[in-house]
Amino acid sequence: MSRHQLHITIMVHSPIIYEGLHTVLSQSDMDCVICKVDSLDDLEAILHSKKVDILITNPLLLVNREKDVKRIRKNNPHFSIVGINLGIVDSHSLALLDSSFTIFDTTEQVLSKLQKAGNNNKLKVTTNDDNLTERELDVLTKLVNGFSNKEIADSLNISIHTVVTHRKNITTKTGIRSQSGLTIYAISKKIISIEEVDLH
Amino acid sequence: MKLFDLIEENPSLLLMMQHFNIDFRVGDLTVSQLCNIEGVSEKLFISIANLYNGFRPVENPIDSVDDLRQTIEFLRNSHDYYREDKYPQISSYIKQLQENHPEKELKLLEKFFYEYFAEVIDHLDYEDNVAFPYFIELINKKTSSKTDLYSAKEYSEHHTDIELKIKDIKNLLLKYVSISDDLNLRRKLLFSLFELEYDLYIHSLIEETILIPFGYNIEKA
Repeated sequence: MSRHQLHITIMVHSPIIYEGLHTVLSQSDMDCVICKVDSLDDLEAILHSKKVDILITNPLLLVNREKDVKRIRKNNPHFSIVGINLGIVDSHSLALLDSSFTIFDTTEQVLSKLQKAGNNNKLKVTTNDDNLTERELDVLTKLVNGFSNKEIADSLNISIHTVVTHRKNITTKTGIRSQSGLTIYAISKKIISIEEVDLH
Repeated sequence: MKLFDLIEENPSLLLMMQHFNIDFRVGDLTVSQLCNIEGVSEKLFISIANLYNGFRPVENPIDSVDDLRQTIEFLRNSHDYYREDKYPQISSYIKQLQENHPEKELKLLEKFFYEYFAEVIDHLDYEDNVAFPYFIELINKKTSSKTDLYSAKEYSEHHTDIELKIKDIKNLLLKYVSISDDLNLRRKLLFSLFELEYDLYIHSLIEETILIPFGYNIEKA
């Protein structure tokens, strides 16, 4: 597998963890460029001008920022978020991550997870043809939450006919037809989080 | 044509033989000899073998009560294969995958599969207990009401649904759900899904191109 340079951004408050990560990464044979941000807002600002493949962060910094994370992901579909699990993580923040490691992991484990996250980005680039429009995402979200065509039409202020068209397009783009299948699709694509789904 | 050569060209014919209840040790027998020994209609055997090789029959290969019985027997045996072999196998792979990986999508995939499996069993039972006996009665001319029990349309819609959900599971695994490593298990699961999909496809072709047209002809007569 060909290796490519990874642009890694680190967002942590603890200087020990930042320095530790920086050392581990720069002493490894991984070809990477490291930069540091202090907040999601900073991250968004640099995303305008710079390439970021992976954000490494403490998931606690994502608490209550679900909407912002979703927006950033939508605008930058080719980047991954890797969490450093410091012991206390709430499930909502965990759902926002592509992958995670703990401070007890070995250097090899950390590097392998980052390399994988980087490779996943490549996959994301090549499987982009299922990109759903904003409206299709709205319909999909309602659909997997068990809304009927009529309920979707009413809540989005569109005709049932339009809902049916959106549903057809969703199926054509994703290749998934059943509601259960679309639910799994929506979770895999982080369009909805697992907590929104009734598992029983 | 020797059966041995046919099997070498397309090993999935073994599955077809199993559905016909024919042993795999074919020696050097030709199709004709084997069918004679096994008491299977040669025309029917060749037509179905052609389906497995990708060719649809040009004319209906069944024209007697006995041919119909053999066709139904074949379909019943395929049902046993789905029920007792293929679905349990897929189910155990999915279960294993779910146990190996913490991703919640896999829990949902397992649930999706179980619900789907239950639907399939319902459908197979319906065919075994309602549709097939209806055909037998039809040919024995015991029934006077010809339309109530059985609808060709309902029949094929059921099948379409069954095939589509298999496609969903395949697409999810090939395109969306990200699972790290475990390639042996995932390949086994995918191969099983492809095998099942292929046999279900042939199964519905047999019903649509052989069984149903034959039923219509009897109804008209």
